[in-house]
Amino acid sequence: MEENIKNRVVGVDISVTRTSYAIVDVRGNILAEDHFATNEYPNVNDFITTLSERIVEITEANGGYDKIRSIGMSAPSANFLTGCIENAPNLPWKGVIPLAAILRDRLGIAVALSNDGHITALGEHTYGSAHGMKNFIIITLGHGIGSCIFSNDEVHFGANGAAGEIGHTCIEHNGRECGCGRKGCLEAYCAEKGIVWTAKEMMAASDKPSLMRSLSRLSPRTITECCDKGDEMAQEVYRVTGERLGIVTAAYATLLDPEAIIFTGGIANAGHWLFDAVEKTFNEHIFHNIKGHVKLQRSTIDDRERDVLGASALAWGIKEYSLFK
Amino acid sequence: MIQSLVKTKVLGVDIGLEKTTYAIVDVRGNILAKDSFLTQDYPNFNTFLSVFCEHAINMIMSNGEYEEIRSMGVSAPSANLLTGNIEYSGNLPWQGEIPLSAVLRDRLGLAVAVANDAHVRALGESTYGCAHGMKDFIHLTLGHGIGSCIFSNGHAHLGSNGFGGEIGHCCIYPGGRQCTCGSRGCLEAYCGANGIVQTAKEMMAESDQPSLMREQAELTPKLIAELCDQGDEMAIEVFRRTGFILGIALANYASVINPEAIILSGGIAKAGEWLLKPLNDSFEEHVFHNIENKVKFMYSTLNDEERNVLGASALAWSVKEYSLFK
Repeated sequence: MEENIKNRVVGVDISVTRTSYAIVDVRGNILAEDHFATNEYPNVNDFITTLSERIVEITEANGGYDKIRSIGMSAPSANFLTGCIENAPNLPWKGVIPLAAILRDRLGIAVALSNDGHITALGEHTYGSAHGMKNFIIITLGHGIGSCIFSNDEVHFGANGAAGEIGHTCIEHNGRECGCGRKGCLEAYCAEKGIVWTAKEMMAASDKPSLMRSLSRLSPRTITECCDKGDEMAQEVYRVTGERLGIVTAAYATLLDPEAIIFTGGIANAGHWLFDAVEKTFNEHIFHNIKGHVKLQRSTIDDRERDVLGASALAWGIKEYSLFK
Repeated sequence: MIQSLVKTKVLGVDIGLEKTTYAIVDVRGNILAKDSFLTQDYPNFNTFLSVFCEHAINMIMSNGEYEEIRSMGVSAPSANLLTGNIEYSGNLPWQGEIPLSAVLRDRLGLAVAVANDAHVRALGESTYGCAHGMKDFIHLTLGHGIGSCIFSNGHAHLGSNGFGGEIGHCCIYPGGRQCTCGSRGCLEAYCGANGIVQTAKEMMAESDQPSLMREQAELTPKLIAELCDQGDEMAIEVFRRTGFILGIALANYASVINPEAIILSGGIAKAGEWLLKPLNDSFEEHVFHNIENKVKFMYSTLNDEERNVLGASALAWSVKEYSLFK
């Protein structure tokens, strides 16, 4: 008879700037959480050591490490089928990193790893606006652009576990250089660096005055602030970005006929400055038989919370393993 | 309850723009009888329906008992599995929403499943062709229009409304060529049959370069491919440009779906290496870097007509039995 029922997991969300981790119970209650700066660890081994120590620390301080069933982790460019981070354009750690295996060895329990698009979709599906949907797409807009496809109520991983890489679809042959090594990727136009690039291009292309010219730091957030203050050039930056994103989103919907496409991530905070253009262009280009049938929406839950919850949902999905049994 | 009669046969039907083919197929995929007539002769749907039912009943009665047929699967352009209708086909003579599945069931007393041609082709390829054993693949049809079907984790991905796979109507050049669907810049307007001919005409107008294409009364992709075989440089360039554009579109498709393979079928695929080489080069240049050289391009291994009725027969097995005669 089983005496020790493990009703908690650890969810870890590794993003380019911050790594958050939390103890989550089976009902989705976050029992304890903390975070540290990813970018203080350019060496992946140091990062792994710190993460392992932090996980043991938080679990021991909150009921004991032996109550934890498994660990679920989210990281950019991670592949669920291999358990590795693979050639991440946006992280300092290069090549193929078998993160799930390494952490399993260090911590002695089962570890699942997947990419942020997948974890966001799990979080949204389990606890957010996609609950009850069988066919939907999540698009995450941040340092990079990722996505996750839900087909027939299951995640579509693809033959190599690499599905959903919309950020690296080519929108312009021989276009802007992308961190992945190719040219013309969507990410180079519509992710964080791409938006800043567009702003710089516009400022160089004309003499028109703009609040952006006097910013000490040009970023999607500061550009949004300029939009809120009525700056026309800043608004145009988001308008052309939204147009590009709208065409790609329409093609994505035409291919997959989802019930909804849900946008998440920091860039989504630009709100209507971005999404008015996305919606308009989307409606102009969507396949006629599904026009009006595909909902465009923004995530309804707080980003950080959803991502650790999604990572915790991933943890429940893998088979238990324990070095200590 | 002891079942006395086990039904081992189904009816597979492929309604194409030109021709309607119908066959009795057994559970092993053997085609026991097959025939066809011209869809084009019946611009009125009700007449088509009567003629079809007559043909079908005759074939069944000449090849055993009616009670031996379990169900029927039908492939048609713009058909939707979820509703059982043909829906606003741009290319068929019958317009609007046609409740094909319901009327066939009423006339013939059999369970009927209706699906679009791209889906049925993929089903045929998965059950009896080169996609057998694959869980994630894309089946692409290059013809008058460009259609596709995505298989995800062993099942066809139909989407929320049953319209998944319409790659022909993805916008690849904003503000580009006018497409028959009403939008501008669709892939079909560049790489479908009419799109290829338009590219040829544009090239002939662009320069004075001599070409055998200039002597043709009417250009078709098939003719242009024949001219490639004869060494005509401009004809070769037509397919090079077409392959380049299609390569980018398929690279983007593969970057989001990550299929094991992309299977090509349809008339345009018969252009062979003239299309496939530039397509493959463009694809590998643009696809998501982690899957470079991983996605396999292959031609369908089944003959068109066979694959479509076999796919329709596979569809027939998937629908729940119904019989007026039980």
